[in-house]
Amino acid sequence: MDTIMTLTAYGSKSESAVKTAESEINRLDTLLSVQNKNSEIYRLNRDKTISASADTLNLLNRAIKIYNMTDGAFDITTEPLTRIWGFYSGLKNRVPSENEIADALKTVGAEHIRIDKNNITLDRNTSLDLGGIAKGYASARAAQILEENGIYSALISLGGNIRAVGSKPDGSDWSVAITDPDDNTQQVGTLSVSNTAVVTSGGYQRYFEENGQVYHHILNTDTGYPAKSGLKSVTVVSEDDTLADALSTGLFVMGLERASSLYSENNTLFGAVFVTDKNEVYITDNLKNSFSSQRSFEVIKI
Amino acid sequence: MKTRVWIIILSLAVLVCAVWWMLVSTPSYPSKIVGIYQNGSLVEKIDLNSVTGEREITLSGKFGKNTIFISHGHIEMKSAECPDKICVKHGALESSGTPIVCLPNKVVIKFESSSDGADAKTGAV
Repeated sequence: MDTIMTLTAYGSKSESAVKTAESEINRLDTLLSVQNKNSEIYRLNRDKTISASADTLNLLNRAIKIYNMTDGAFDITTEPLTRIWGFYSGLKNRVPSENEIADALKTVGAEHIRIDKNNITLDRNTSLDLGGIAKGYASARAAQILEENGIYSALISLGGNIRAVGSKPDGSDWSVAITDPDDNTQQVGTLSVSNTAVVTSGGYQRYFEENGQVYHHILNTDTGYPAKSGLKSVTVVSEDDTLADALSTGLFVMGLERASSLYSENNTLFGAVFVTDKNEVYITDNLKNSFSSQRSFEVIKI
Repeated sequence: MKTRVWIIILSLAVLVCAVWWMLVSTPSYPSKIVGIYQNGSLVEKIDLNSVTGEREITLSGKFGKNTIFISHGHIEMKSAECPDKICVKHGALESSGTPIVCLPNKVVIKFESSSDGADAKTGAV
């Protein structure tokens, strides 16, 4: 996982619990990383078939469900596309040719993955990248380990993915600030949360410029180009870390309108804060008691 | 006599304004206490506002050396021998939400306390 993690836990056995949670996160990273040569995903991408562990199977099944839920906006088969755009460490960012994009798009889509009991098989040129969902899965496991070890108050930060375990030691909610996409010393607003995950996706941190055009790393698998959905960032709030992680990318690709209609069908599963290209802020109505901001914002009703 | 009263009133007014300005403006100064960590342990804690002159700290890791440059109110990764050099491209440390990180050599430079009062910050990576 190309990221830093911070675990803050309160309780008598917190030190050993944090160590156990940390080693679980590292174990999952080794299992699910696209670049670690010892990972199951690396072997699957190389050999196109593996007998998978329970964690990999679990996560793949979740990913495919969210792929269907978002009409393919969240997709784990983007590896070939991400590669030609050079968004892996060790590669150089560049705009691929139309032919390269057309070829990569042929390999994209969950229909190229087959799962039979614990065997996973990919079509010939398809490769997986779980980068948009693995951190959520890992933070959920870490939270579970802390709770199993009697920690009822903790905050996990996994490279921008936040997981609140319980509430603060004094019983009040945790306050999670959302980074301003235009200035990361500033914030869009704060969310008061307990027992929940908060995950943000946006194109403002990983991007490159070529001939005056900006190209960010969240790719739209319909076009093969960086998603141009009118959004700068999407923050998803959900008790389900894995869903929050994957949906932050999915909703970013879908754009405000499609994301709002997905919300109206699933308002018990997640909430979201959107920052548009015009710097307007929209929040879903299930967050109106937990979101506060100096800026004006619109509430999306069902 | 009249002039003296006015001078006293004016001085008081200036004093009140000065005290008010200090009270209002002090909390909004961002914290300048910075921690430099390697492999999760603190290497050094520095108050950037009390730094005079210029200073460099060199740390060695698995992928060679990292050189940190410090001057008044300013800290940055000046050079690194790691492969991607993301820490150098980061530039100066500006926000509590985005520390300077060298993943290969496990070096982190961050503000020690958050200036915005939140417990955590979420953002794109």
